[in-house]
Amino acid sequence: MTKEKAPKGIKGWAQGRSLWMLHFCTGCGAIEMPPTMTSRYDMERFGITPMATPRQADLLLITGYLTVKTLKRVVRSYEQMPDPKYVIGFGSCTVNGGMYWDSYNTIKRLDLYIPVDLYIAGCMPRPEAIIDSFTELIKGIKEGRFDGWIRYRENIEFYKRNQAMVMDIRKWSLDTELAERIWNEVQEERKKRFERATVPHVYELAERIPEGLPK
Amino acid sequence: MSLEKEQKVVELVKASFEDAEAEVQRERRVKVWVKPNRVFPLVAYLKGHGFNHFVAISAVDWIKDGEIELVYHLWSYSEKVHVMIKTRIPRDNGSMPTLKPLFNQAETYERDIHEFFGVYFEGNEKLDREFILEDWDGPPPMRKDFDTRLFSAEFYDQEDLESEALRLKIQPYKGHLRK
Repeated sequence: MTKEKAPKGIKGWAQGRSLWMLHFCTGCGAIEMPPTMTSRYDMERFGITPMATPRQADLLLITGYLTVKTLKRVVRSYEQMPDPKYVIGFGSCTVNGGMYWDSYNTIKRLDLYIPVDLYIAGCMPRPEAIIDSFTELIKGIKEGRFDGWIRYRENIEFYKRNQAMVMDIRKWSLDTELAERIWNEVQEERKKRFERATVPHVYELAERIPEGLPK
Repeated sequence: MSLEKEQKVVELVKASFEDAEAEVQRERRVKVWVKPNRVFPLVAYLKGHGFNHFVAISAVDWIKDGEIELVYHLWSYSEKVHVMIKTRIPRDNGSMPTLKPLFNQAETYERDIHEFFGVYFEGNEKLDREFILEDWDGPPPMRKDFDTRLFSAEFYDQEDLESEALRLKIQPYKGHLRK
């Protein structure tokens, strides 16, 4: 069986010229989207326009930190999008956690949970940076370089396992059988991590309570 | 600057609640310390005297004292005074009567504090339902003895996963860096 490849040449050129972006805004990066969409930077000159539903979208922009709660919706939306689909990670939070690196409820690296084609570094990236990534994406699609959905399909076990470590994938995956199996597999490791993580650890802050507070 | 209207609120509280410690913190701000079982009557009393905006409930974890401090914020539009009602309950198995009969919106704040601090509010039926944290198995995350950094490292750090991702060659595309 030949390995599936991303379209290139005239097919890729056509694909890259009519990207519809899923209007899914997470985190604070969403505030950079209105200027990018509207007349000042006008992303529609590249054929990119916001789309309301995942089933009609080609491009998913993750604009900032992802809590576990949002990640569930992102995974669900990503799986609903038809092939070919592209993901852009936007801002430091999707690269390495950014300023939420020690939060109890935000993931750090997005590309361990869904395949990312391009990252935009910065906190916040300016609309120029978004436009730059769009041009890079269009160029790459034409050359057939971006194949996120193929990577997702081929390494579905890896991605589902990582997702299962942080969230209940049974409710949020389209392939429920696979989700059920992998969820059962990771239960033991999940439990072990919870046990390790909940060792009581009192911060130094607690020692600095001012004396003589009324009770 | 005169603090007359603030003093009036302090006297109002002291007239009916002798065990309460009320003081003027600054302009338009009054602080009241009461016992946990006196919070409900005090809020009801103040509601009857024009404090009809229930702003929020907040919680502070005083781990050294083994207590959780609950702060009930009330605002009066006629007096333009903000009253903070502070009380402390034990950290372990601490519980408070719900304020839902007085202010409906208290239910939401109580669910929030229940999830993040583990305080039980008696009479709040929606307390057991998931509110903000979904599928959370750990301890209440806003308590001081919950190590969020350690928890984050255990669950979201990725050193082992990173090498696995490298082996599978599923890193994001880096071609544009090579130019």
